[in-house]
Amino acid sequence: MVEPIGTARPEFPVDVGEMYEGERIRKPAMHLEFGGMEVEKKWELALARPLDQVEDGKVTVVGPDLSDMEPGGSYPIGVLVEVAGAKVEKDLEGVLERKIHYFTNYIEGVMHLNQRYDVWIRIGKKSYQKGFNSLEWLGKVLVWLYKSSFPVIEKIQVTIYTDKAKIEELFPMAMDVWGKRDERARTLKDEDVKEFYACVMCQSFAPSHMCVITPNRIASCGSISWFDARAAYNVDPKGPNFPIPKGECIDPVKGVYEGVNKVAQEKSLGAIKSVSLYSSFDNPHTSCGCFEGIAFYIPEVDGIGIVHRDFKGHTVNGLTFSAMAGHTSGGTQNPGFNGIAIEYLRSLKFLQADGGWERIVWVPSQIKERVKDAIPEHLLGKIATEADSKTIGELKEFLVSKSHPVANRLVIEEAKEVKEEAPEVVLPAQIPTGIEIPARGGIRIILKNVKITAEKIIVKREK
Amino acid sequence: MRKRNVHIKLDRLKSDLTEISGLEISIGKAIEEEWAEPLGPTPCPSLATLRDWDLKLLQRYKPFYMPYCDVCCLCTMGKCDLTQGKKGACGLDICAQQSRVVLIACCIGAATHTAHARHLVEYLIEKYGCDSPIDVGADVGVEVEAPVTRLVYGEKPKTLGDLEDVLNYLENQITHLLSVAHTGQEGSKLDFESKVFHAGMIDQVGMEVADIAQISAYGLPKADPNAPLVETGMGAIDSTKPVILVIGHNVPPATQIIDYLGEKDLMGSVEVAGICCTAHDLTRYNPRAKIVGPISWQLRFIRSGFSDVIVVDEQCIRTDVLAEAQRTMTPVIATSEKNCLGLPNRTQDPVDQIVSDLVEGRSPGAVIFDTEKVGEVAVRVSMLLSPRRMKFKVIPDLAKVIEETKRCAQCSNAPCRKACPNDLPIPDAMHQASESILEGLANLYDLCIGCGRCESACTNDLPIHSYIIGASKKIVNEEKFKVRVGRGAVQDVEIRKVGGPIVLGEIPGVIALVGCANYPNGGIEVAQMAEEFAKRRYIVMSSGCAAMSIGMYCDEEGKTLYEQFPGEFDAGGIVNVGSCVANSHIAGAAIKIASIFAKRKLRGNYEEIADYIHNRVGAVGIAWGAMSQKAASIASGFWRLGVPVIVGPHGSKYRRMLLGRKDKVKDWYAYDTRTGEKVFVGPCPEHLFYAAETKEEAMVMAAKLCMRPNDTPRGRAIKLYNYIDLHKKLYGVMPDDLHLFVRRDADLPITIKDEVMKILKEKDWKENVIPDPTLLPRLIRGKGGLTDER
Repeated sequence: MVEPIGTARPEFPVDVGEMYEGERIRKPAMHLEFGGMEVEKKWELALARPLDQVEDGKVTVVGPDLSDMEPGGSYPIGVLVEVAGAKVEKDLEGVLERKIHYFTNYIEGVMHLNQRYDVWIRIGKKSYQKGFNSLEWLGKVLVWLYKSSFPVIEKIQVTIYTDKAKIEELFPMAMDVWGKRDERARTLKDEDVKEFYACVMCQSFAPSHMCVITPNRIASCGSISWFDARAAYNVDPKGPNFPIPKGECIDPVKGVYEGVNKVAQEKSLGAIKSVSLYSSFDNPHTSCGCFEGIAFYIPEVDGIGIVHRDFKGHTVNGLTFSAMAGHTSGGTQNPGFNGIAIEYLRSLKFLQADGGWERIVWVPSQIKERVKDAIPEHLLGKIATEADSKTIGELKEFLVSKSHPVANRLVIEEAKEVKEEAPEVVLPAQIPTGIEIPARGGIRIILKNVKITAEKIIVKREK
Repeated sequence: MRKRNVHIKLDRLKSDLTEISGLEISIGKAIEEEWAEPLGPTPCPSLATLRDWDLKLLQRYKPFYMPYCDVCCLCTMGKCDLTQGKKGACGLDICAQQSRVVLIACCIGAATHTAHARHLVEYLIEKYGCDSPIDVGADVGVEVEAPVTRLVYGEKPKTLGDLEDVLNYLENQITHLLSVAHTGQEGSKLDFESKVFHAGMIDQVGMEVADIAQISAYGLPKADPNAPLVETGMGAIDSTKPVILVIGHNVPPATQIIDYLGEKDLMGSVEVAGICCTAHDLTRYNPRAKIVGPISWQLRFIRSGFSDVIVVDEQCIRTDVLAEAQRTMTPVIATSEKNCLGLPNRTQDPVDQIVSDLVEGRSPGAVIFDTEKVGEVAVRVSMLLSPRRMKFKVIPDLAKVIEETKRCAQCSNAPCRKACPNDLPIPDAMHQASESILEGLANLYDLCIGCGRCESACTNDLPIHSYIIGASKKIVNEEKFKVRVGRGAVQDVEIRKVGGPIVLGEIPGVIALVGCANYPNGGIEVAQMAEEFAKRRYIVMSSGCAAMSIGMYCDEEGKTLYEQFPGEFDAGGIVNVGSCVANSHIAGAAIKIASIFAKRKLRGNYEEIADYIHNRVGAVGIAWGAMSQKAASIASGFWRLGVPVIVGPHGSKYRRMLLGRKDKVKDWYAYDTRTGEKVFVGPCPEHLFYAAETKEEAMVMAAKLCMRPNDTPRGRAIKLYNYIDLHKKLYGVMPDDLHLFVRRDADLPITIKDEVMKILKEKDWKENVIPDPTLLPRLIRGKGGLTDER
């Protein structure tokens, strides 16, 4: 029987540490597994409870334990982490739940993949033999790591279900929790919260960049949502995620807030004066370098294209992701180029000042598929992908043929023939082609016995 | 538009508004300026341009001299005894003399890569034209395609022709650098060191020129993380076929062998296998070629008699290759002007005649500078000679080993063991073998670096190295592995992708395992280090012989590390960039980070970028078997960028280390660019050049040297975790310097928080700030400093 514990590191039969995070356990090295493809019902869930409903440090295994199971098999599992504390809010649940993945992976010889209803845990043979023969150990690790990582957690109890009937019985409750949690994340508006959060983690590499994280604008890297940032601040109040009091809303459409501007000015040492959270054009949000995608202006159709980091080859404007990324990075404001997270495409305020989805004209098929449910239905067929248009010309045709909203204002200008004036060459023969000496103007030049030598001459094309 | 040598001469010109007579205009080069990036402060730096930066680094990382030789015999006034504070006839002391020798070594290294690059570029221009474009991965979004050249030379090369201009600059600098080593030139040890850095930087550009030229022109893998796996090891060579062995670093002759085989539809009938970097580059050219192994595999493979013809180009080739090849009746074709081996020049002779002379044994080999001719001669000779030679070998079989080792005199002073660079227990193994126990000799197989010095030392002239190979027949036959072909550069997108994980503390750093095969305990240590760091989710990079050694060991399932770990520049990836000249991509990746994340200008902006890398990019090089002068110059190129390098115990023969003193608190301050204040940043990184005695020491040190002043708390936590965990596992105790690396409690790794906190309390640790670090006051942005207008 495993004794309950607090924040002090207990003795475990196997090592527990960050280095095991990437450990893979292949089938031959596996003692047994929970979840995965062979098992229909499996889940893990974290819930915030009132203080009096949690027995601190309690670990319970409901159903058969590891030592009761046939090696080599695949079994159902449910992991329920219940936490309580004066500062533990319901909004913290999602963040805490994702930690089950990391903390489980810290255990030597235990592999954890995925989350929610899709979990997959493998216990390695070696670790089982070393004494990791009870799921209570898993519970103990979770209790200890949660308490050491989140000082706001006053009490925690972990229940691990292996009893199939019980797992199935609780499954609808878990689905309900996730449904509500997703609903809140989807519907929570910037107006609904008092504070936004800043992230200056990337200042480590991009010293003048700061991300503003709001319920409707996830960090450009896609890794830190408003909920994550709030939790991170809870854990490390002096850390790189800190609250930004919103202050007065200066422009609700562009998403300009007095408080945001103040912090942006301070953290960029005055380089950035104002930030529009929902616009690509007017004081757009800056980027470091690790944004997942770029919203880029396509002047020829007065629309906006999206490209993600994994898109290979040339986008519709003839440029690659990397080429455009060069214009987007480095903590500077670059109107027309906006570093974004893919998740931002689902935001209620996605580039709302620029017209939102109505202005989006080109999206790689992979991304279109991924965020399909967030694209207004009437636009779905009107937004081109690389399969529809590879050039601006094709894009224009596509948009007009599909009556995309931008097509209404799209005037296809006849390409203006720029007639190059042939410079008059007044010098006689023997002059190599490509070298032209303009000899027009009102002065008379007399050169006699002149020798001009240049090791290198740099010619700049006039813009 | 690019014009060269434009010459305009006008004897007389008269128009309405002009009258010109006797006008001559010469323009060496006319370039259309297409690159919008403004030129930085130091394009084409000369010897002393970056001296201030060098001295800043050398102030922190003072040379710690370990004279490998305490006399100087470079001029006729000597030789001069420099011990006990004595000065030489020219006035030089022992410290400056050590630095001077390092400078000479680095000049040799830089000259070798640059000359290699010059040859390649000229050859490729002749073959593909000077307008042949530079493309190292445009299709996969490599936008910053020549980062080192941009940074140092200040131009963006677009064609092979552009590279010639870069080489002009490099050759100019190498000449000046070498002249510094003349008697009565430089007198200060630190100035010698600064020039060592300069040679390293020049070398890095030379390597980049060579590799981007061959990637572009030959279509070698272009920043491809999924470059194919290629067969490696002596057991992988099908000795029933004619075998052509190529050795060296300069791949054109070897490519012509492949081309000729392709033309004649003989690809499946002849084996082409390589040793050292030519093998890397040849498999990049065509993955049906094979890798025999690193440089230390030369004697064992030649003596095994597998090869029917040996084609050598340049660098790191055994200088007795001809004599060794003659023992197995294998003709040698020398293809480089730098390495003619005393053979007759047959370049102008008809192919039939050369083939006949080599096959009939009328000549032991030939010099052929025409690479196309090399291709045809090598293939035809191998095919004609293979059935005649019957793979004649000089490696004895087991019975003969037992019989011959009885002749070992078991000398009381064991000259063979003394001669062995790794002090291998040769006498014991010989004695055992004479009593029919061959394990002793076989155990030496992996540890032996194949130098053959034991044989030269043997009083009975016994071919000891051959006995080791003979006793290891089983190992040799089973030596079949997979190495991922050198992929070239790192994609810009790959760098973008790891930015998040690094600041979020999911990737602890970048470890580059590079260099030659002068290992103290066999190549397996390199593979073990690669595995340990890849498992810990570091990004592991590799090149050259080290990249081969990484692939030459299998797990229980028979998989090599290249099959177990992906080739991506990502957590847990093992990234083989290619041959030694591909080392430039490792430096290039570090340089690109500054451009990609902070939009720092690279063009002619060395000091600022080096300052960025030194303070922010957690990368460490490990050259576990560093042997050559090239290895010395490669390392010094990294030092100037502020990237620390660890070498194996033989590395101490590079005469001096560059060691920081963590006990000297004042050495570890940097400016916070936001406030202009000087803040304590801890010894990050603690050393610039460090020789480790053991693999364990190297690993603990590498983990420690990944820390940088800019680390986010989560980033520092994962770096600290790995440093502490390795220290505990390999030394059995906690490190005693943790108080220097923890800035705030958020830096503490969760799983060992209590343990570390206890130590910090004992050391009276105090919380500190995390700055935006720089060593350059001109980069201060806040409080009266410069605004960020880079």
